[in-house]
This record gives sequence, structure tokens and C-alpha cells, in this order.
Amino acid sequence: MRLITHNMLQCHVKACPPGQSYPLQIRNAELEALDAEFNADFVRRLIPKLDWKVLRSTAFELGVAQLPEECPAEPTEDDLQMIHKVALQTRVKEAEMVCSGCGHVYPIKDGVPNMLLQDHEI
Amino acid sequence: MDSLPKEKLEHVHVHNVYNIIAPHFSATRYKPWPIVDNFLSGLDKGSIGADVGCGNGKYLGVNPDVFTVGSDRSDKLIDIVRERGFEAMVCDNLRLPYRDSCFDFITSIAVIHHMSSPERRLMAINELIRVLKPGGHLLIFVWAFEQESRSKRRFSEQDVFVPWKMPKAIYGPASSQPNTAVAEDGGDVVYQRYYHLFREGELEEMVRQSPDAMVEACGYDRDNWYVIASKK
Ligand SMILES: C[S@@+](CC[C@H](N)C(=O)[O-])C[C@H]1O[C@@H](n2cnc3c(N)ncnc32)[C@H](O)[C@@H]1O
Ligand SMILES: [Zn+2]
Repeated sequence: MRLITHNMLQCHVKACPPGQSYPLQIRNAELEALDAEFNADFVRRLIPKLDWKVLRSTAFELGVAQLPEECPAEPTEDDLQMIHKVALQTRVKEAEMVCSGCGHVYPIKDGVPNMLLQDHEI
Repeated sequence: MDSLPKEKLEHVHVHNVYNIIAPHFSATRYKPWPIVDNFLSGLDKGSIGADVGCGNGKYLGVNPDVFTVGSDRSDKLIDIVRERGFEAMVCDNLRLPYRDSCFDFITSIAVIHHMSSPERRLMAINELIRVLKPGGHLLIFVWAFEQESRSKRRFSEQDVFVPWKMPKAIYGPASSQPNTAVAEDGGDVVYQRYYHLFREGELEEMVRQSPDAMVEACGYDRDNWYVIASKK
């Protein structure tokens, strides 16, 4: 799972308290760096689609990068490189994603999150 | 078929079957359908989307200028997607683990026809619409009850089992996994997949039930009905 994908994920347990199902907290993470081609234009167009606060705090907690507090309005080439590295090249290989609302744990194994729930959680 | 509860029916005749046939299924899936290809190729650069029920991920690399998260209920198919280097996760279309309005586009190719009641089909479609951004686009394909004249298949009912035959010589003997219905036919192991075949207008009608969706195009292509919709 790349960090850009984590940016979209939320807990979907039926009884999860509204407003607390996002973002999922990543614990016990093993990270790896992917080889993804950098395309400045692509990253520039991606930025407004991201939840910057969540990307920033996740990158910080995982020790990947210290992103600026505010999403850069006029990103420099360096900003774009940094965002590319954080969102598209950082992959969580093994981890647990924990919901702060209901405590549900979603495992990530071999880079793949398993988001299936038990029947009684749906 | 009617004797099984809906979740159980899908478990035995959809989810377990795809897990067992994954390598064989994947070996048969490589040619993209032109309408799906066009939809993906026409997306704006930098779009973010989800392919829900992505199978072996055959559409995930079509447009390199967009970012697509592939997902499927079958972990064995998702293993194949991951090995191909695509972004992937295991999840169920009936409850998607994505926040509201976060994707520019969604594709659902040959998936909704595996849901075994009108309520479940509608629920799956509504989930696709929920995670789409206002202004975003959705493409859904489902198998048609009305088969083209040159097609070998004819159906007399809308809810059917369609056999999947796997050559034993290549893929080995029948799976002994619990909750699977198997039969043998000469050199093949036969698994029955559940399908709901859509009649003309049925898919479109379901999409129109959502107050958030606007149907932009619909049609018939190669034994399938499709709808392209946008979110209001
Ligand atoms: C006919 S295949 C199509 C795969 C791919 N979209 C393609 O066009 O090649 C149907 C897929 O739907 C998946 N599927 C069935 N029920 C599902 C569900 N409830 N949630 C997610 N995926 C599901 C199956 O595992 C299978 O991969
Ligand atoms: Zn939760």
C-alpha cells in the first residue's frame, strides 16, 4: 500500500462512530521504497486531490518525511519530488491499520491491505 | 439456488470459485474491452480512481497518467495483481473501505452481476457512487440476458449458474476447500459461478435510483450492458 492509497481509506465497520473512522493509524510498519517514475505534471495535478493534513501526519509518524504544514500553493520542483517520494514511492509492506473510532485492526501483508470484515461487523 | 441464503450463495458460488480458479481465470484475461479502454484513456492526467472487482488487474495499467487502486473480494486474484506491481487491496464491493467522494473515476467491470439479490446489487452500485467525487465518472459493465445472435449461449432465466471448466492436466485435481461445489467432466474440474443476467434497462434503472447519479451514456457491447454515469 502506497501512502496515497492510505489517504483514501477509512474504517467501514457498521458500528464505527461517525467522524472517527478516518484516518486509520498505521502501527508496526515495515516500509519499502518503490521505484516509481517521477512526473512533475502528474504530481502537480495530484496535490489538490490529497488530504494534505493526513498525508503530512502519516509521513511524519512513519518517519518518512517532514512535509510543510500547509500544502504548497505554488510547488517547486523540490516540493513535487518530495510529494512523489512520500505519496507514490513509499510503500507499507507489513503493518496493522487501527481505527481510532472502534479499534478494528486491518492487516497489511506483503503490501496488500485486507479490508474484509466479519459478517457481524457489516 | 434459492435454498441458500444470499451471502452463502455468493460465498460458495462466487468468492470461493474465484479464489480457486484465480490462476486459470487470470491466464484468460488480457484483452481490454474497447469501451473500457476508451473510458480509461479519456481520463484527465493525475486522476485518482478505483477499479472495484479488478480481477487480475487487466485494466490497471491501461492509462499510465492516472493512479488506480485495484480491489477485489478474492485474495488469490489480488496476489496476482500485486505480483504484477499494481496497487491492490482485498475488499468487498458491498462495503467499500474508502471515504466519501474521494475518487475521480470508478470502474466496475463484470462484477455487479455476481450479487444475488436486487438489494445487494443496488447496495454495491450505491457504494460506487458514494466514493465518487461530484463531477467524477463511473463505468459499470454487467452480463446481459439478451445474448448476441452469434453467441453460443442462450439463457431462459436471469439467475443462473455458469460453469467454469479447469483442465486437470494443468491445474490439478478438484479443490477440497470447504464450501465449494465441484463436479468433474472428463479431463476438467467444473465449478459453478452464480450470475444474475441483466435485462435491457435494468442496470440503467438501478443507477437512476440514486439521487446523486446522472446517467451519461448506456449501451450494449459484446453480450454486456454498460452505463457511464457522473456524480452530481
Ligand atoms: C468476471 S470477473 C471480472 C474481473 C475484471 N473486472 C475483468 O474485467 O477482467 C468478476 C470479479 O468480481 C469479483 N467479485 C465478485 N464479488 C465481489 C464482491 N462482492 N466484492 C468485490 N469483488 C467481487 C470476483 O472476485 C472477480 O474477480
Ligand atoms: Zn472503526
